Amino acid sequence: MTTPDCITLSSYPKAIMHVDCDAFFTSCEQARDPKLKGRPVATGQERGIVSCASYEAKRRGVARPMRMFEAKKICPELVVLPSDYELYSIYSERMFALLRQVTPDVEEYSIDEAFCDITGLRRMYRTSYETIARSTKESIQKDLGITVSIGLSLSKTLAKICSKQNKPDGFLAVPGNRLHEFLGGIPLERVCGFGPNTVALLQKYGVRNVFDYVKRPQSFADKLLGKTGRELWQELRGVSVYTVSNQPKEKYLSISKTKTFMPASSDKDFVKGQLMRNLESAFIKLRRHHLSARTIVVYLRKSDFREKGVEARINRQSSSTLDFTAVCSQLFESVFEPQAVYRSTGVIISDIRVEQEAMQLTLFESPLKIEEIRQISKAVDSINERYGKHTVHLGSSHIVSQKGNHPRNMAAWRKQELLKGETFRQRLNMPLLNISVAEK
Amino acid sequence: MSRESLKQYAKQVNDFYLKAKRMPTYSEMLRLFGVQSKNAVFKRISRLVLSGFLHKDSKGRIVPVKVQKPVYLLGFIKAGFPSPAEEETLDLMSLDEYLISNPQSTFLLKVDGDSMIDAGIMPGDLVLIQRDLTPKSGDIVVACVDEEWTLKYLEKQKGKAVLIAANKKYPPIEPKRELTIAGVVIANVRKYK
Repeated sequence: MTTPDCITLSSYPKAIMHVDCDAFFTSCEQARDPKLKGRPVATGQERGIVSCASYEAKRRGVARPMRMFEAKKICPELVVLPSDYELYSIYSERMFALLRQVTPDVEEYSIDEAFCDITGLRRMYRTSYETIARSTKESIQKDLGITVSIGLSLSKTLAKICSKQNKPDGFLAVPGNRLHEFLGGIPLERVCGFGPNTVALLQKYGVRNVFDYVKRPQSFADKLLGKTGRELWQELRGVSVYTVSNQPKEKYLSISKTKTFMPASSDKDFVKGQLMRNLESAFIKLRRHHLSARTIVVYLRKSDFREKGVEARINRQSSSTLDFTAVCSQLFESVFEPQAVYRSTGVIISDIRVEQEAMQLTLFESPLKIEEIRQISKAVDSINERYGKHTVHLGSSHIVSQKGNHPRNMAAWRKQELLKGETFRQRLNMPLLNISVAEK
Repeated sequence: MSRESLKQYAKQVNDFYLKAKRMPTYSEMLRLFGVQSKNAVFKRISRLVLSGFLHKDSKGRIVPVKVQKPVYLLGFIKAGFPSPAEEETLDLMSLDEYLISNPQSTFLLKVDGDSMIDAGIMPGDLVLIQRDLTPKSGDIVVACVDEEWTLKYLEKQKGKAVLIAANKKYPPIEPKRELTIAGVVIANVRKYK
């Protein structure tokens, strides 16, 4: 049965899944510790801000990014946990590995989101796309113990709208011949790529929902919103424009590292140490991807959330931390105010290029010295790879290694619950369940 | 274009083919050869075809002539007796692979009770639990019985699930309301040093 409104007659010219974890960080915590199941949980204790709230907490009004004491006020039974990024990364990697067992075309969109292209797999699995998507959802739930929401449709943009529809633990498949019925009920702001300004502009033209948008001719989208508008118009009509890329993210425009410390501090050496630690972390990432940078931004954030930043550019591309330490401390000196209380520092490095062995030098530089510094970075990286991140570090960031970012009681549970042979720096790469099986 | 540089281009195309398992497109060759225009690519390709490094099919697409595959070395053989060690190591597995069959659904649990002491599971041991196995009679399982977690043998008696401790102190448990099985124990690790 088709109506004149029908956009396409075929069901799945392309089958694209969007897999989105439900309240990911807290779900991981609840999967590790079954005592937390059914209780309102929030992570982000070490920052003093809710970074993720479980659905039980969301129902009681806790939202992101609320301050922790406010969240506690509206939900006194809230279980507040420090973030354990190690745990979340393990779950994330496991989920991507599971998805890769279904199809090789998996795009890691963020730590808890993935796009999968399952076009053509009906024949191999001898079942419908919907059944493939549903069994993917079940196997994640079974193997990992966390729930995900899956949307299945003809393009990435549509799949993402679908996965958001029935959250949490949701599933929605919209084939091409049902698109016209589905899109009428979708407000414009649900489309990934339509910001508040675009939505407002479209409303001025009488476009109230997504179906209104795709009913207009392509030239309308093109004229009003340009390339992005045209691409989204096609994607929303079920013509897949954005491909699912299974390549790991290679292009970095900039790398940023920020850390909040608790309690906030006005101790100059400590705040500077935090900044230098961020600088080190940023450069470790830079070197891991064989890149070099030239520009650096340093910013400090006060406890009232006001922040100040400055930027500098050095005379050539470099991947060595030591090339940036002097300029980084100069920038620090120029923004640091002695009386102020700071809660976080951050470093952004940009002008990123692929690192080259041979480099254009300026006239007054010693190639030998540069090579020496590069060798030092290499040596430091290999030591740290073996003995744990930041084993060898800058003198100026030593204070962080001594004091830590947070008081020890704010460290993640896993870092306090070390197994024999583990250290504060290195632990087994498998989640440790927080279950007591002792008889009572 | 000297013969040397032609050889270099042929090698670049060859390497791309080995890596991507297909021939490069014109825009990919822009980067491959480090040139700015597709006309420059076309010229190089034409020369390569003329010199016999490449073929073109009836549709004008480029086809490899002879693919040079790299030879993988297993190890260098020193003068004297050949060492069989390198080839044999291919059939070995790591302790991880030995202990874990499905890494995605395997979790750790630190044992803190004495319910399985006669089965050799001591307090402080680290057990590996697999979540996606269907628990069978005789398996050691991590189970939640009426809201209490426990480590026990799972037995089926007259079609009913019963949890049996490996310790005479504890009687068998028959779940009254609810039985959830978090996973099946597949290995026990005890580290002494």
